[in-house]
Amino acid sequence: MNVKTNIRLGAALASVALLAVAAAAFAQGSQSPAQAPTADQLKNRPRTLNNSGDPTLALTGPLRGATEAPAGSAPPNPDPKNFEGVWWLKGYEYLLGPGPGVQAPLKPKYQRLLEQRIRDKNAGKPEADASTQCFPHGLPRLTESPYPIEIVQTPKRMTILHEVAHNVRRFYIGGKHPKNPGHTFLGHSVAHWEGDTLVVDTVGLNDRTFIDDEGDAHSDQERIVERYRKIDGGKNLEMVITVIDPVTLEHPYSYYRIYHWRPDIRRTEYVCEENNRNAPVNGVTVAQ
Amino acid sequence: MKLFAKLAILAALALPAAAHAAPDLSGIWSITGYRPGLKTLDGKAPPLKPAAQAVYAKHLAAAAKGDKSYDEVEACLPEGLPRLMLGPKPFEIIQRPRGVFFVHQNRLVHTAYFNEQLPTDADPFYLGFSVARWDGDALVVDSSGFRDTTLLDDKGLPHSEALRLTERYTLGKGGKTLSVRTTVTDPNTFTAPWSFRATYARKPAGFQMPEEICAEKLYAKKAKG
Repeated sequence: MNVKTNIRLGAALASVALLAVAAAAFAQGSQSPAQAPTADQLKNRPRTLNNSGDPTLALTGPLRGATEAPAGSAPPNPDPKNFEGVWWLKGYEYLLGPGPGVQAPLKPKYQRLLEQRIRDKNAGKPEADASTQCFPHGLPRLTESPYPIEIVQTPKRMTILHEVAHNVRRFYIGGKHPKNPGHTFLGHSVAHWEGDTLVVDTVGLNDRTFIDDEGDAHSDQERIVERYRKIDGGKNLEMVITVIDPVTLEHPYSYYRIYHWRPDIRRTEYVCEENNRNAPVNGVTVAQ
Repeated sequence: MKLFAKLAILAALALPAAAHAAPDLSGIWSITGYRPGLKTLDGKAPPLKPAAQAVYAKHLAAAAKGDKSYDEVEACLPEGLPRLMLGPKPFEIIQRPRGVFFVHQNRLVHTAYFNEQLPTDADPFYLGFSVARWDGDALVVDSSGFRDTTLLDDKGLPHSEALRLTERYTLGKGGKTLSVRTTVTDPNTFTAPWSFRATYARKPAGFQMPEEICAEKLYAKKAKG
């Protein structure tokens, strides 16, 4: 083993230790995963993976994402269980771990894979992931889309129309997973209400997508649980997401996101195959 | 005051639905008797102008030689309308107060909005822009703002950006069938507006749309060739 390898190994071990500390801090700092990160947490977010100081492991910074609906927009539907309409993600993270800048609790093999993917990206040779081939982004990554979504709601179904690459998800409310759901990019989703919270369970995902943009890996054993509820009088939709994967993860983890109610926005045409969207959209630059 | 304003808006939203017990077209539908080429209601060829006829003839000749490079759908670009409605794969209609959502198996979503006007100077889209209204028991969908790169049918019938479509959707056989009469208006391409009809059968309750990824085909092709 040469010196270089030793340094890499040392850094990897330090990464794991730091990850554990970060994860513990996050868990301690917020009993409820729905609690916003503190200003301090945001200020001290790692600029490189686990603050390794290694520029080849630098993470891509977050995007601002959507703002709230402008004044004078149509008011949100007062029914707490009516989610119908256009919503737009606030903020955008390239790494979807348990906290800002913290990666998923990956097993060592997949931690190395993530680091390799980040290094390749930083070297200008990113691994061609599903989205670059116009395949659906998989989960949870699709929920992090910086483009608007439109929810179409009927009593037994919540249909999520994504502007990004015209992805469609269907939550069968009160439904059951098929005995053999197979493996698809967006899996099979069933949902039920717990009070005013819609709980969505998704299985049957293939392993051809990443958890996120940076390349946290998931397997075809991945299971996603999403909990959606309207907050702030319906002006915001909160999503608490739990990622479960006994193959790639040491343990399940959760994070939360906010979607803004945006009745002023119309979901429009996004054709991935045409590669036509590297331009500001509604004033927000989402790609470079 | 604020609450009152909200209630007034809700009442206004509820009114059109209450005043007109509109049929519900919601469900998953698939075409009966798929045909690749469009014919007019009386079974004739669409009235193409000479220049458009020449383009169409070119498409037919190329296809006969196995060359479909004129057809963007081969590269997984959207079918456009009305072609998207004419394929053998199912689509779902979700009828809501805001509009009618046509969600196709290949995940293309065509939305027709109620209480809206067609834009006079639309940016062209693959699926154009569509507005919906009720005419008795018929749902009428008017569409314009199409790109001229799409084809009207699977055989390669061309059109221009001046294309306008008017579709009349009516339920039949106690809601088991759906009939759509479409009028095609495109003065750059046709000598006169013309119409065709397509009928659809309702998929059984409980049918769940499978995940279809067009791009899979492209990569499979690349891997082969």
